[in-house]
Amino acid sequence: MHSLVEPNAWVALKMPAGNLRVLEIAPNTTISLGKYGSFPSNLIIHRPYHLTYELQDKQAPETFNRLRIVPASELYSDILSSGEVSSSTGEATPVSEDAENAVPTGIEYSLVDPDSGAVVATTNRAELDASARQTLTMEEIEELKKDGTDSGKDLIAKLMLSHTAIEQKTQYSLAKYKLLKTKKYIRRFSVLPLDVALLDHWLVEEKDPTRVMDMREEMIGLLGCWANVHFGGEERCKTDVLTTGGQDEVEQEHGQDQEEQEPEQSTGRWLVVDDTGGLLVAAMAERMGVLYQSEKDKAIEAQRKARLSKQRPHEPGSQPTAATDGQSDPAIKPAVGQVESEIKVEIEDQDPTRPQSPETNKKQYNGEGRQRWNDLHVPFSQTNTLTLIHANSQPNLSTLRYYDFDITNPSQGQTHPLAKHLMTLSWLQLLEPQLDSTYNSELPTATPDELKTWKGTKRGTYHRKRRRWAKVRHTIDSTRQGEFSGLVVASSMDPVSIMRHTVPLLAGGAPIAIYSPSVEPLTKLADCYSVARRAAWVAHPPEEAIGKSIEELEQWAGTDEFPLNPSLVLGASIQTSRVRKWQVLPGRTHPVMTSRGGAEGYVFTAWRVKPAEGKVEARGKARPKKRKAEEVDQVGQDGTGS
Amino acid sequence: MSSISPFLDSGLVTTPDTLALVHLSRDNIQPVYLREGSGSVDGYAEGAVINTRFGSFPHSTLINKPWGSQIRASIVDTGSRGRKKKVEAEDNDTEGTGAGSGAGAGAGPAKDLKTASSGFIHLLPPTPELWTTSLPHRTQVVYTPDYSYILHRIRARPGMHIIEAGAGSGSFTHASVRAVYNGHPRTTEDRRGKVWSFEFNEERYHKMKQEIEGHRLDELVQMTHRDVYNDGFLVDGQSPEAECVFLDLPAPWRALPHLARRKPTPSQLASGGLDCLGGSDSEWKSPLRADRTVYLCTFSPCIEQVTKTVEIMRRLGWMDIETVEVAHRRINVVREKIGLNMPTERGVNQVPGSVAEALRKLKEVECRSKEFHSQDQDTDTDTKINEDEEALNEAGQGTEDAPMAKPWTAGRLVHRTEAELKTHTSYLTFAILPQEWSEEQEAAAFEKWPCGKENKVIGSLDKEARKQEKREMLQGKKRKKPQNDASADAEDAGAGPALKRSKAT
Ligand SMILES: C[S@@+](CC[C@H](N)C(=O)[O-])C[C@H]1O[C@@H](n2cnc3c(N)ncnc32)[C@H](O)[C@@H]1O
Repeated sequence: MHSLVEPNAWVALKMPAGNLRVLEIAPNTTISLGKYGSFPSNLIIHRPYHLTYELQDKQAPETFNRLRIVPASELYSDILSSGEVSSSTGEATPVSEDAENAVPTGIEYSLVDPDSGAVVATTNRAELDASARQTLTMEEIEELKKDGTDSGKDLIAKLMLSHTAIEQKTQYSLAKYKLLKTKKYIRRFSVLPLDVALLDHWLVEEKDPTRVMDMREEMIGLLGCWANVHFGGEERCKTDVLTTGGQDEVEQEHGQDQEEQEPEQSTGRWLVVDDTGGLLVAAMAERMGVLYQSEKDKAIEAQRKARLSKQRPHEPGSQPTAATDGQSDPAIKPAVGQVESEIKVEIEDQDPTRPQSPETNKKQYNGEGRQRWNDLHVPFSQTNTLTLIHANSQPNLSTLRYYDFDITNPSQGQTHPLAKHLMTLSWLQLLEPQLDSTYNSELPTATPDELKTWKGTKRGTYHRKRRRWAKVRHTIDSTRQGEFSGLVVASSMDPVSIMRHTVPLLAGGAPIAIYSPSVEPLTKLADCYSVARRAAWVAHPPEEAIGKSIEELEQWAGTDEFPLNPSLVLGASIQTSRVRKWQVLPGRTHPVMTSRGGAEGYVFTAWRVKPAEGKVEARGKARPKKRKAEEVDQVGQDGTGS
Repeated sequence: MSSISPFLDSGLVTTPDTLALVHLSRDNIQPVYLREGSGSVDGYAEGAVINTRFGSFPHSTLINKPWGSQIRASIVDTGSRGRKKKVEAEDNDTEGTGAGSGAGAGAGPAKDLKTASSGFIHLLPPTPELWTTSLPHRTQVVYTPDYSYILHRIRARPGMHIIEAGAGSGSFTHASVRAVYNGHPRTTEDRRGKVWSFEFNEERYHKMKQEIEGHRLDELVQMTHRDVYNDGFLVDGQSPEAECVFLDLPAPWRALPHLARRKPTPSQLASGGLDCLGGSDSEWKSPLRADRTVYLCTFSPCIEQVTKTVEIMRRLGWMDIETVEVAHRRINVVREKIGLNMPTERGVNQVPGSVAEALRKLKEVECRSKEFHSQDQDTDTDTKINEDEEALNEAGQGTEDAPMAKPWTAGRLVHRTEAELKTHTSYLTFAILPQEWSEEQEAAAFEKWPCGKENKVIGSLDKEARKQEKREMLQGKKRKKPQNDASADAEDAGAGPALKRSKAT
């Protein structure tokens, strides 16, 4: 995350009532807060996050509203002073609905005497004021707002004073009444970074909880921890064709140890099934450190985009750019064409003197050129990767747009860390790759002489196809090889069916974490691993299993009695978690009165294990019913219940 | 790389001298430091041995196995170890577990180990979750439901520096080092994710330091023996430059004055009943990272602690203060076997599963008593009744409440909350501290991003403005295609522009 609000960053504006507005902050635009007013976007660009601003009135001759940073001392002044008062006199004080919304009470404190403009500590002064009895109409309020004098403070003061029944209220409800008015009209907001926690909060609490399967923050935290998702090791790109030159510039930051530590095996690879539109992928990528573009990468990317648009007309003869790709062959999936053109652009950058005629390109094809041009170089890292399995022919990762990553956009740059660390394949590609047209096709090959005779576009298509072929091959083959470090799932599909096909792909000891908005799919899954079923699998194996090797049983197709091979998974359990908010104010601390209902959210966890060859007898006698968890006999040792 | 912690990359197989977790049952997972079996240890010819109620397991049978392996018990000769040990073994004692106990040295591994006829364990690679359930408790610890939420909320991500006090038993430490890890620093300037952990109790500090080294995390966790109330968070005069802070201390408000951007004024502290900090204003150094928002969480079991903490947070300028509790439950899944035809379980009385079953049973009883009272019963009728009964049972098969062949598929699948519930751990209070922003910085930013040339409106518009926008946009379209309508009306569009666009593709 960046230190300051970057131009064109997605941010959330937190409004006085606590609600969020999510915006992409384009420079030189006016940001409207609706009835609160508006201000130029340039006033928050390259400013820190989390400052509390107050919208100010226009000061002639300026044509825009400026912002004032409200210091914390002002925000809390009356809560803190009320704390002192209440402890000494027991007098009631303004109520804030909860601690975080305590913000507006500061204003309240200072607005009570509208005539003198002096700060008055109590509302009594107002009650004495004869003008207090006059009632304002809605029209009058609208008028006042248009005047915009002093950021709505006057308005609140007048509203308060106009409330004729004010002295009949108890101190408590008086305070509450004032506060509501304050929240509604005060012109304060703050700018928050749209990281995963905030994005999820916004999607679940305000926007569209069902689109993200009601996955609350508690669930995201549990999934990430139980699946042990973390930074999975220094970046190592597939080494069969190592990149040099242009690529290095990009990779320097992570890739220095390519020689130092040659990998024995790939590590830190997580398997994901995500029906939350990419929220789960984003959350896991954040934990792995591959969600945010570094400032440097962002700069490179911006340069690239600028160059791309500039250079396009100048090089019709060389390899087509991503944009022309799409035009020349719209049938090709844009998701795949994206990265390769990027490599080319990086190379151009590295070597600006390179003539752009087809002649020089030929050299490279003749073998004198640089290895990095090799189509079969796969841009994926071998460590710290996410492999997404999707149910439609294209993955739905729309949420990643908030992080400047669009897998379906052909001009998506390679500098984004997700370009190297996120692989996607469909269930068909995973389970029946022979039916995938790309996987099943031969690698297109042409001799250098043939290539020479081809037109630029044809050659471009040729190279694009080769690169696409290599990427699909790599993704499918490496996924099918298995040995994944963990499995994370948030899917509307039956978890039993997901487990059947993914458990064999996990390394021994790999953790499994599955989210479901409701408990039933998970109870069904846990039941597949019940104590009784596990015991039965050993004691009375089903006919279909008899005589099969452990390896064969890993691919267990499932029967009614044994939908899954229960010996491949250990410690199946289900949990749920929910936070409850508290209001913390002097003398008035209690849990908040209301919160969102809806799906509760559950997480299934377990580990992938490797059963020993042959029949393994459990030890330990069945104990009487009332037994302690520790004394569970061995058949029950990893059971999900009694 | 052998120096990497097994918590961060366990590899695919178990290796000597690393931590493995022996899974006996869900709530009985034991940490074991695997040692190459060489010569006799503690009287075992096999080298180090783990004894559990599920059998004995020489370390040599546990090393070089794929993680997750199910391991059979071995027949171990306890001969020279005498009776006492044997008794212990039966009490679920484990030998040779724990970091310190002496490793055997000597000649080659014991041969001819015999596999026992029953008993097994599973080997799991270390993770903070498993460690939390198995670590030696020296204090109360923070468990997964709490720390998973805390780390998410305080944005403990790869590359962050996190301050933690006190270290206690190290449960939170292990979870946080995983969260911030993004590689080992290569040079002294190479800033990588790091945990700055402080512990006041000397014995705990030493234990923690040992453990962290044993887990090969010492490059990533800086342990400091310190009373943070009085002495703050600088280490050797250097600032941790932390972005995240977690305080699990009895009086977190006493640590807060040290966690400021600049030295708190005496009046700020005095009003909160705190003592002034020593040192002059100018030489005071903040332990926080200057150019980032800092995220803080305090963890306190009592509400009075929270009230005090929040008051001090407000005085010291922390924002977005929010207190929550985490209510976590584990769910047990069971098959509820109700019905007359359910496979019998010890001590379970069969009750009818439906009105139909009840009727059937009642009729049966009725019928039987009639027979009984008719006096002239003979063996023939008796058999007949039994036959009827059997037929009835068989007829019942295949209907909804019929008996099923396999006990593990019989009954109704239900779930309930686990028997013993943790209903309160602690209150979690979150807060953030924005960076400081001076007038000079603001002036420079204003210079660089001048205002007054705004060309369009984004955000929430009132009706009139929206109409106007639309008119302009339509006019603009005629002239040229709009470059970027994505940023407009993010709030009001159904799913935000990004999502709309992707739906279309
Ligand atoms: C509840 S424990 C922390 C448990 C830890 N979070 C865990 O997950 O294992 C609290 C620890 O804070 C330490 N402590 C108390 N006061 C302290 C102080 N002033 N400075 C540093 N540590 C302190 C105690 O010694 C104790 O070990």
